[in-house]
Amino acid sequence: MKDQLRNIKEIRKEFITVDFFYKECMNRFKIKKISGKDIPSKKVITDQDIHRPGLALSGYFDLFTYKKIQIFGNTEIEYLRKITREDRIKNLNKFFSYDVPCIIITDNNDAPPDLKELADKFNVPLFKTSYPTTKFSYFISDFLDDQFSSQIVLHGSFVDVYGIGLLFSGKSGIGKSEIALDLIERGHRLVADDVVVLSKKAETVLMGSGTSLVEHFMEIRGLGIIDVKSIFGIRSIRYQKRVEVIVELELWDQNRTYERTGLDHKNIKILDVDIEFIKLPIFPGKNITVIVEVIALNYLCKHYGYNAAQVFKKKLSRKIHENKLKEKDPRNIEQINRTIEYFEHDFE
Amino acid sequence: MIEKEVTIVNKAGMHTRPASAIVKIAARYKSDFYISKNNFQVNGKSIIGVMTLAAEQGSKLTLTFDGPDEVWFADEMIKFFENGFGEL
Repeated sequence: MKDQLRNIKEIRKEFITVDFFYKECMNRFKIKKISGKDIPSKKVITDQDIHRPGLALSGYFDLFTYKKIQIFGNTEIEYLRKITREDRIKNLNKFFSYDVPCIIITDNNDAPPDLKELADKFNVPLFKTSYPTTKFSYFISDFLDDQFSSQIVLHGSFVDVYGIGLLFSGKSGIGKSEIALDLIERGHRLVADDVVVLSKKAETVLMGSGTSLVEHFMEIRGLGIIDVKSIFGIRSIRYQKRVEVIVELELWDQNRTYERTGLDHKNIKILDVDIEFIKLPIFPGKNITVIVEVIALNYLCKHYGYNAAQVFKKKLSRKIHENKLKEKDPRNIEQINRTIEYFEHDFE
Repeated sequence: MIEKEVTIVNKAGMHTRPASAIVKIAARYKSDFYISKNNFQVNGKSIIGVMTLAAEQGSKLTLTFDGPDEVWFADEMIKFFENGFGEL
């Protein structure tokens, strides 16, 4: 896994076109185009932040971040309405002399006079939304954050097991796809096989999905290409999932030591996000599917506050402490305590 | 580690048949093998991975070989790409 990560290049979109932005967001965030012209294909958004150009509209253009999406809220609209026509045209002309990607008017405000005409003249797309500025800014920021997030492509299988995103990694031919198939058969859901795209969402969440070409097709060695969705149906797939645990499969190596208690939590950093990392040795005849289901269930237990390894550790420490306090039997006989001290009449 | 840039020369591009031939060659070698196109890197031993690139005629790919038999591996694979997957 670490070798694989060392060689991997981070990918990040350099820009999105305004046209793409509009198509993706018009229904999601109730955006309507109000400029009369088509969106010029060369208009692109290169910055994930948004800008409210209040000061620029008043004529102060120092440090004007014109490359960002320009949001016209109530303040901007009201200001443009109040100033004289002469000032408005002067300031807007200066405003449009910068190559702004697009303008979005919030809170269902009507475009103030001259804005639409000048936007059309300078070929700047003008949009409008019914959402108030703060709410709208939140939506757009989240969308842009996702669009410009860091991504990597990993070789592995990604399955949702009891709601936990388990990403299997390991050498080619070790059986990742077969384990995924076995899990699907048991009612779990495939996210992606072979090519998994991982993106950072916010700062602490890693999301994974497949690619638009492959979707839920997978290759099973000896069989060829199959389509999981058509064989197992809609319940067997999903498009995206948060990555919670990475399970690295490797052939059992006698010279390696494997985790025995589960107390030493290992994490791996992917795109700077900490993800639980489990190295799982495999050998013929070992039922990996069941172990993998237990990994997911154990993760759930920990998430809900029950850490078996910790609980057992405490139990053992308490017992050792009790033994220390107990008066020593002079005959030096150690007793083993059964779970049930007295077997009543349940002999079957 | 060996890195080499190759160009897809055959008309049909890196479609299913060449992809399958590539992973069959790759499976015979121990070394790791990656193919990347525009920073998008996939494992060259996975047929789904190779096909995901959807590499068309004229596209440039970077092949990376890393392991004990990388020299022979790279030699055979680069020839296979340069011969247009036998489709010229």
